[in-house]
Amino acid sequence: MSSATLMEQRPQLMLSAAAGDANSFASLIDPLLDPAYRLAAVMLADRGAAEDAVQEASIKAWRKLRQLRGDLGSLRSWFLSIVANECRMTRRQRWWGVLKMAEVETDRDTEFGAGSYDLHQALLKLSPEERLPLVLHFYLDLPLEEVARILHVSPSAAKSRIYRAARRMRSDLTQEEVF
Amino acid sequence: MTNENFRRELNNAIDQMSGSPSPALRDRVRSSLAGAPAATGHYWIAAVAAAVIAVLLVGVLVVANPLNRRSPSPAGPIAGSSPTPTPSAPGVSPTPTSSLPAMVCASTPPTTGASAPAETYIDRLATGTHTGYDRLTIEFTNGQPSSVEVKPQAGTTFTRSPSGQTVTLLGSNGILVIIHGTDLHTAYTGSFDIKTGYTGLVEVQRVEDFEGVVQLGLGISGPACYRSFFLSNPDRLVIDIQTS
Repeated sequence: MSSATLMEQRPQLMLSAAAGDANSFASLIDPLLDPAYRLAAVMLADRGAAEDAVQEASIKAWRKLRQLRGDLGSLRSWFLSIVANECRMTRRQRWWGVLKMAEVETDRDTEFGAGSYDLHQALLKLSPEERLPLVLHFYLDLPLEEVARILHVSPSAAKSRIYRAARRMRSDLTQEEVF
Repeated sequence: MTNENFRRELNNAIDQMSGSPSPALRDRVRSSLAGAPAATGHYWIAAVAAAVIAVLLVGVLVVANPLNRRSPSPAGPIAGSSPTPTPSAPGVSPTPTSSLPAMVCASTPPTTGASAPAETYIDRLATGTHTGYDRLTIEFTNGQPSSVEVKPQAGTTFTRSPSGQTVTLLGSNGILVIIHGTDLHTAYTGSFDIKTGYTGLVEVQRVEDFEGVVQLGLGISGPACYRSFFLSNPDRLVIDIQTS
């Protein structure tokens, strides 16, 4: 299904999903699976666990669909928020995951420049909660208001979290360089 | 480094970290959704069962009364989430209920929050004055902090951490509130030094906000007697300062 077609069909899909049609819900969240996976992979630093988290979050979202009250405009932030929560739960439930994450170390990949490699290392040193606003704002390109909704904070608090995490990666960054 | 450079390099780093999802992910999600019951299913049965269990539990607790709150303790622990007290809005007088803990004038031992996630954030400090007490409400996002200690003291001089500098607040006695597992800079945007003008609680000032520990100094006019308890929705720690 093309993205244009999907956009046109979203209201109908939402109605069908609300009526209990799991296939419609799957189609509705289909475009969100890739960003959800990226978010989970960055938070968990484990690709297998990230896919598990997205799958589990999708089921939880399906069960909580009534919370959305048919608001398609909030679908993305609502779903990504559930994914982020699922990642937090995964980390809590699997305490050994912390050790596992600490072992994440990749080879110096020649296809990336030195700057990217440094940032990659710096990214790994951040806590998952610090990585979350960075991936939402810079990678998924979400506006501050949407980042704030996912983090359950005010837009100004979201902005300061993004800036603080960015500064932890590159201490010489100014606010103008980040935003 | 420009914004665009930073963004590009960060995105490269994230790409490297995440890779691409496996082609099977979509099918996995679809098939798991097909097998999962929808929210429109018979969840009311589970809800009714949970309500019955909750009622039974409350009944057992009322009969057993394990906290024995009828006997005031000089250093009673901070009560867990209580459904009865009215949330304190600044300047609004709530109706006190008999289930509120008794006022004490001694330190309370460290008490663990009802639920302790990895990180919580203070997002609001609010004060209010009511008949018989002044109230400080410390509101949290992302759950309750891991532990809270409340320590009354003679005088209003506190030591800032980690600087070691001392600060003297308004009032004649003080209370030091030590909260572990939270911070006062991520979600909070208000003042760090609140002068209330009330008769009991006269000043609230940040003493520490470092490494997941927040200490608040409270300047009290009169004896430093208080009660403290957690409320939920939103999660908040309430400290009432006795004024009469």
